[in-house]
Amino acid sequence: MPQKEVIELLKKGRTLAKRTKFKDALAHFEKAITLDPKYPEGWYLRASVFADTGQYKEALENCDKAISLDQNYADAWTKKSMVLYNMERFEEALMASTRASSLNGNDATAWYIRGVCLDELDRSDEAQVAYGKSLELEIILDMEAEQKRMRQQ
Amino acid sequence: MKTDMPLSKPIRLFIANTEEILNTEISLLRQPEADPGGTLVDEYTYDIDHNIIIFPAQYIGLLKDFVIAKHCTHLLIKGAAAKKAKYLVCSYNEESMYRGMRQIYLDALKDEAKKENRLPVQKLIQMLFILFSQFNDDVNELPWNAIINASVYHRMPKIRKTQLYHVMKESKNDMDEMMEQESIVPRRYFVLDKAMFYARDMFLAKTLPADELMPVINIPQMKKFNHLEVKEMLTTRWTQTAWYQSKVFGDQMLDIMEKPLGPVVWTEPPSLDYFYNLYKVGVLMTDNLLTYMTMRDWFVWEEPKHLLAAHEKKEEYEKNALTRIFGDLISDAWEDQA
Repeated sequence: MPQKEVIELLKKGRTLAKRTKFKDALAHFEKAITLDPKYPEGWYLRASVFADTGQYKEALENCDKAISLDQNYADAWTKKSMVLYNMERFEEALMASTRASSLNGNDATAWYIRGVCLDELDRSDEAQVAYGKSLELEIILDMEAEQKRMRQQ
Repeated sequence: MKTDMPLSKPIRLFIANTEEILNTEISLLRQPEADPGGTLVDEYTYDIDHNIIIFPAQYIGLLKDFVIAKHCTHLLIKGAAAKKAKYLVCSYNEESMYRGMRQIYLDALKDEAKKENRLPVQKLIQMLFILFSQFNDDVNELPWNAIINASVYHRMPKIRKTQLYHVMKESKNDMDEMMEQESIVPRRYFVLDKAMFYARDMFLAKTLPADELMPVINIPQMKKFNHLEVKEMLTTRWTQTAWYQSKVFGDQMLDIMEKPLGPVVWTEPPSLDYFYNLYKVGVLMTDNLLTYMTMRDWFVWEEPKHLLAAHEKKEEYEKNALTRIFGDLISDAWEDQA
């Protein structure tokens, strides 16, 4: 169980990252990692900032660290697949997204990356299956967002 | 292209192709509060040097790809028009707004004479401009929506199911539009507005006939459409609602839309000439719809900056139009308000 301070740092960092204040977010994540290097979420969130700022090599290293701490960390696998896709390492991205979607079957992004990679590898029929699953999940998300918007109006 | 977000292969190639044809740059931007249909901020409309496609943050996969495909197609149409001749939109000026608002007022008077509960004068006055603006928005959007959807359907077979979902959703939103104003809007305009959307939907239903909404049947809200074709879905929706009377006018409008769209070869290799031709089809379709609705003199074809300037001056135009329609009566009302 991580310390309360670590959880707070990660929460603050996540908010900063959402506001694209990446440098400040990174500082929070690094402090959290120093306090608890065995907590995978710190590494995963740091990977996300690196990915968002186009530092794919660093992002990949941080994803791998998070996964080494928790082999079943679905979000870290999804992030890894996105990073590998951006590095045009489609075979590896496909493997990572397959692992992510098997750990969390409701992750629309993981299914979509799987489809995109299969498409890039000219495995069109398999890509369509993955796209179909991703679309199904995305529509559910969209309907939820629509309902939320209607409630706010 | 400025993005690091994953894109399906056909979309990635389509963006690259669009940038090459128009010799321009496209950025993609994800925003939590973006319009569900996305927004195109383009150099042919605004004073900027590149183009941005904005879409909602929850669109992470094919929904995002469809929005991009749609706006890229629109960008190609706008860009081709700008490069081959001039890109024009349906704008308005003080005189044309006066003509439109006066016509709406005369029709409203006819409606009001038959009503038991008459509309308060202040509401009637407000409605003239609201309705005029509504038609300006709709004629600038609707014909292009039909063309763009048909083009995307033929060029992007891999995202057809996504497109079906968008079409169904958009159709529902368009049907619901103006609902709150139903009791105050003159019947003629209410029906004409709905009929335009009916015609668009029926055109799309004919264009997108072969696909079923599978595999989205796992979603409870969509289950009622299980195994229905698009045509069946849209026809059912329109014929089982209060908008049934729009069908009479809508069928006429469908005919008007189909005439210029009929000869279009949707799978021709993309080029400036091809998309300029689509632009001309859209202009013709808009003109024909305006003629059918007797609104030809409500709007003027002008460059986008003219429309943006008109929007800036719309309050002044409205005030002057109302003064011309109501004379001193309206000036007194303003003084009372002040």
